[in-house]
Amino acid sequence: MSDPRNTPPPLPRSASAPPPLPAAVLDGPGSPQDVPPLPGSFPLDTSKLPEAIRNEIEAPDPVAIDTSAAELKDGLNRCPKCGATDIRPKLGTDILVCLYCRHEWHGARVEEEFGLGEAIDQLRGTVIASGARDIDADTSALMTFKCTGCGAEVTVNTESTMTARCHWCRHVFGVNEQIANGAVPDAVLPFHIKKEDAVARIRQFVDKRRMFALKAFKEQFTPENVVGVYLPYMIVDGNVSAAVAGKGEIKTREYTRGSEKNKQTYYDADIYQVERQVDFTVDDLPLESSAERGNLDTRANTNNIINTILPFDTKNAVKWNASYLAGFTSEKRNLDVEKLRPRLEDQLLSIARAQVEGTVRRYDRGVRWEQEQLEVHGTRWVAMYLPVWLYSYHQPGKNGGMLHYIAVNGRTGETMGSVPVQQWKMLLAALTAGTIIEALAIAFLVAST
Amino acid sequence: MSDDSGLWLLAAGPAGATALYWALYRFYRNTDKSHSFEHETEIDAKPVTGSDRRVDSISGTQEKRIRGDNVYEYRKRVARVKTGPE
Repeated sequence: MSDPRNTPPPLPRSASAPPPLPAAVLDGPGSPQDVPPLPGSFPLDTSKLPEAIRNEIEAPDPVAIDTSAAELKDGLNRCPKCGATDIRPKLGTDILVCLYCRHEWHGARVEEEFGLGEAIDQLRGTVIASGARDIDADTSALMTFKCTGCGAEVTVNTESTMTARCHWCRHVFGVNEQIANGAVPDAVLPFHIKKEDAVARIRQFVDKRRMFALKAFKEQFTPENVVGVYLPYMIVDGNVSAAVAGKGEIKTREYTRGSEKNKQTYYDADIYQVERQVDFTVDDLPLESSAERGNLDTRANTNNIINTILPFDTKNAVKWNASYLAGFTSEKRNLDVEKLRPRLEDQLLSIARAQVEGTVRRYDRGVRWEQEQLEVHGTRWVAMYLPVWLYSYHQPGKNGGMLHYIAVNGRTGETMGSVPVQQWKMLLAALTAGTIIEALAIAFLVAST
Repeated sequence: MSDDSGLWLLAAGPAGATALYWALYRFYRNTDKSHSFEHETEIDAKPVTGSDRRVDSISGTQEKRIRGDNVYEYRKRVARVKTGPE
């Protein structure tokens, strides 16, 4: 991304300036609008590839599992027992520890506390949790506290962090009040994967992809620079009905016509008008609630990488307490429920289409859906911070280059990444392979004539 | 066998090169990956209902599948009808 301070000032607007173009629709091959391939699948038969390439592709992926506890530096808030502010999360668990009196306590799980996950089929209208309410544009991201210990002023920039320590008396502050700037969510899912584990997973991921990786990327590869970030999401429950209609075809006859040399296959088929309805509920669908993170244009960014490591075990999220964010950075939510609704409806329609797929198997020539309907009876929105280990590499290039991410799910350890490629190497490999195949094809032709 | 299959073989080189390039590119850059929420979200669906009505038949087509088959392309939106179902 380019630094805004280095870019030239905007040109003066003339009266005839055209209105801005609508954002390009994200579809076509390679975009995240495609249904992703099955995990671990590779489009080519690896047994036919050269050994070196095959070894890279068949090397194991980082396993997605929870790991044991380890502890983290720094803390905040007030201990319910002794009142000290030095509180830290116990990494690998959802427990907070007071560093002064060693008191340990568990945050209340929002699932039970607020009855989320219950009665989704009874949902009506739009239920918005207090941390997910609309952002007030006038509210600053900067919050100033008066230190109760010494009276000094402490400022917390909620764009990137939720805790701060008073430089004078070492008191720790956490932003716990739900101010309308989108910074304080309803719940947080604490990190379970520790840093060393995340580093190992990133290393394993990149080690599988070295042969055609960009030289500068390999030289500068330092997975120890990974940062733990809490990213803002809306966790949505929904109660919906959907209907789709279209045409399906069943093959009735298959036959060939023409002579030996010019054989053509023909098909006869019955055409059906197919209609399907399904009522369903969705539990804990995560949506990126930051406009930047929700932009999954793979030509401009690699946010689809972070999207891929979803889902999280959001059932275990605990009630917001800034202490869980000690030692980590965070990003602020900047989208309201209404802004996210089109995206939710799009995903609900996709889910409906996936649900009805199993009932149209008898149409062996496929189904062309032509119309779809969605009726959303009720939704429930909860704002949540979810833990992600992020390693980034900026590849210079036109339009500010490309920021490549390698992301590790802070709960399950699921790892996904974008490794910049050395174009000429990959082209050379492809051309070499193509030349060999072509030579074989020509040799075969010459031999057979 | 015939000239027909011979010409087809000549395309194997460029096709193989393109396939390998794309496969490797996606393996490194993972541009085709995203959250497969259709299968990874907890969904509680009531039984699917619907109707199937034969409206026409075709004969002698050479197409292997129905034109515009989108049964597996869950994320390609089609015309949205605004009124409630049924």
